[in-house]
Amino acid sequence: MLKKYKKDIAGWMIMLPALLLFTFFIWEPLLASVVMSFFSAKGIRLEKFVGFQNYIEVLQHPDFKAAFSNTFVYTFWSLVIGFLVPIFLAIIINEIIHLKGFFRISVYLPNVIPGLAVAIMWTFIYRAGKTGLLNIILGNLGVPPQAWLTKAHLVIPLIVMFMTWRSAGATTLIYLAGLQGIDPELYEAAAIDGAGLWARLRYITVPQIYNLARTLLILQIISVFQVLYEPLILTNGGPNNASTSLMLLVYKYAFEKFDYSKAAAVSVIIAIILILLTALYNKLVKENEM
Amino acid sequence: MGKKIAILLLFVGMLFLVGNNPVLAQKKVVLKLGMWPEPTLKSDIEMFEKWKKEFEKKYPNVQVVPATYKYATDTFVPLAESGNLPTIFETWFTEPQKLIDGKFVRDITVELRRKGWDKLMNPSVKQILSKGVRIYGVPRDAYALGMYVNVELFEKAGLVNPDGTPKYPKTWDELAKTAKTIKDKTGRAGLCLLAKDNAGGWHFSQIAWNFGAKLQVQKSGKWYANLNSPEVVTAMNFIKDLKWKYDVLTDDPTSEDWGSGFEAIATGRAAMYLGAQDAVNQPTQVYGMPLDKLAIVPVPAGPKGHHYSLMGGTPYMFNAKATSDEVMAALNFLEIMGKAPVVTPESLAGMRADAENRVKNGIPVVPSFPAWIDPAWLKAQDDVVKEYRNVDMAFYNDYYNWIKQKGVLKSEEPYLTQDMYAELTKVLQAVVSNKNADVKKLLDTANSNFQKLLDMYVNKK
Repeated sequence: MLKKYKKDIAGWMIMLPALLLFTFFIWEPLLASVVMSFFSAKGIRLEKFVGFQNYIEVLQHPDFKAAFSNTFVYTFWSLVIGFLVPIFLAIIINEIIHLKGFFRISVYLPNVIPGLAVAIMWTFIYRAGKTGLLNIILGNLGVPPQAWLTKAHLVIPLIVMFMTWRSAGATTLIYLAGLQGIDPELYEAAAIDGAGLWARLRYITVPQIYNLARTLLILQIISVFQVLYEPLILTNGGPNNASTSLMLLVYKYAFEKFDYSKAAAVSVIIAIILILLTALYNKLVKENEM
Repeated sequence: MGKKIAILLLFVGMLFLVGNNPVLAQKKVVLKLGMWPEPTLKSDIEMFEKWKKEFEKKYPNVQVVPATYKYATDTFVPLAESGNLPTIFETWFTEPQKLIDGKFVRDITVELRRKGWDKLMNPSVKQILSKGVRIYGVPRDAYALGMYVNVELFEKAGLVNPDGTPKYPKTWDELAKTAKTIKDKTGRAGLCLLAKDNAGGWHFSQIAWNFGAKLQVQKSGKWYANLNSPEVVTAMNFIKDLKWKYDVLTDDPTSEDWGSGFEAIATGRAAMYLGAQDAVNQPTQVYGMPLDKLAIVPVPAGPKGHHYSLMGGTPYMFNAKATSDEVMAALNFLEIMGKAPVVTPESLAGMRADAENRVKNGIPVVPSFPAWIDPAWLKAQDDVVKEYRNVDMAFYNDYYNWIKQKGVLKSEEPYLTQDMYAELTKVLQAVVSNKNADVKKLLDTANSNFQKLLDMYVNKK
């Protein structure tokens, strides 16, 4: 019995640093914020257990409904605009023969720039009036200058385009790794059987990266659900809440009102939604596979 | 005998050692100054170094430690909770009540009474810094909203008096026309309206007041939102006209905030902008506007003659964990800076240093808005301003004479002010981004939203 544990010691020792870091930086704050969401607090000092009071007040806040539905709209547009982009990029780069390294680095470069800097850069692109970059470009085609980010129905897709530009590169690299893991013999065999480009994509490439795409889909939903600094910098949630999000609500509770327990309550709500979505998705996918 | 002397000497020597020993000596009071200037502001730092030297000479038991802290809402709570807040720090005029409620700042009533300053504070400013009868801060200066004018654009549009001062609009109606003339003649926006964040609602409440609006009313002990009254609707429709009928606003008001407004004035992106005298360094020092191109004039009056100026104060506040000695030391330091209601050779020198520094950095030396009501202090400050004057007061006189009139100054609305501004800002955003916005309907929604918050947090108690 003891011997068995002895054998494990080395394993535990290897895991120990990671476990400590996880406990300290992830699990403890996570639990603390769940606890906090049930208390009233001054700053981060808990005062009194209030049950679901914070949740009730958060749900009644005038901005909650807009933040809630917008977050889903962000997710929807990010899947429409952003989900296929990295797959296309990866396939194209995979097919390129010359300068492959150059393109691989190029698509990743936007990730290297600090997020806030990119966001500020995009405010110049979407800027209203004759000095906005997008307006300058469209101006050459005879389109009069627009105040892009004030269009309530366009503002989320515009922000999603910026998010896609920024983060598609990293996902592309993951797909690229997946594509390069495909056995070239499959393609050779297909070519011998007379399969064209589309047939090869349809019957080899797509099935081979299907599992990867499924995982990345969930990861994308999780990360877009937490959209924060993009609307914060570009629009501050406006116009009239058209681009506000749940995380922006968390930010405003925490950093504008110093009301950390309500911020915690909204975070817990976000976590619950994400857990439900992931569970639902996995269930659907499993049913399909059977 | 010799032995006795030796023992005595040894004893004296020990005392001497103890006296020099920092651990055993009476512990020095450490004063951490949050308003210490940032490293890039060289001449400001020189000024503070001088004050520090003087202060430590006068109060040898206090050690002054620079602890530059530029207040920001996302850094404040971690700093406060970890006990690393400076003894004294500057914050924004929006923050005091929130910081008092969160128990982040110290009650300094006792220390102020000991100094006698509690009676010298401008009552409206004191109200902003107090909860009940307890006082939590000291004003750095106070502000009263006026209107910043880019004189160059007025000149180009031919809107100048024979003495060179701008022909500024006296009513909001005139403002629309003036703005239109400027837009037609120069192609630049007449007015910079804010609609990015809560500052939008803040400026709008100033406009709405002059249209005769009361934004919060109390009836039989309960507070009611009054954001959809006919006066507010008229004011908001006026904004809508500025955007869609006259087209005199900057390209995208929803991207304008407090700072970008000053940038717009300084760079000639807009000709007029609501702002107070305490921010004169923004267009000039920060954005390089020449001193002779700036004027501050009264806010236009409303259609029925309402003519208020929204006032507030920029406070110094104190670390909740500071000792009484530390607070006293901080107050004494304010004396040396000339920011306290006392007239001493040091405080006079402090005022002079400040004025000199303004001249050096191209900031208008104009009277500050009196945060203290001590006549001797007011006179001393006035004298220093006159001595260092670097602008033509003709460009400012109307504004200063106006805010001295009775009944002009008006403090911000009392409850959940920031939430009210947030609701109004959302309406502003809808109005300036949608030509067909239904103003009444938007204000109805804002009103019921804000009422919900009032019921949840104010009327419940």
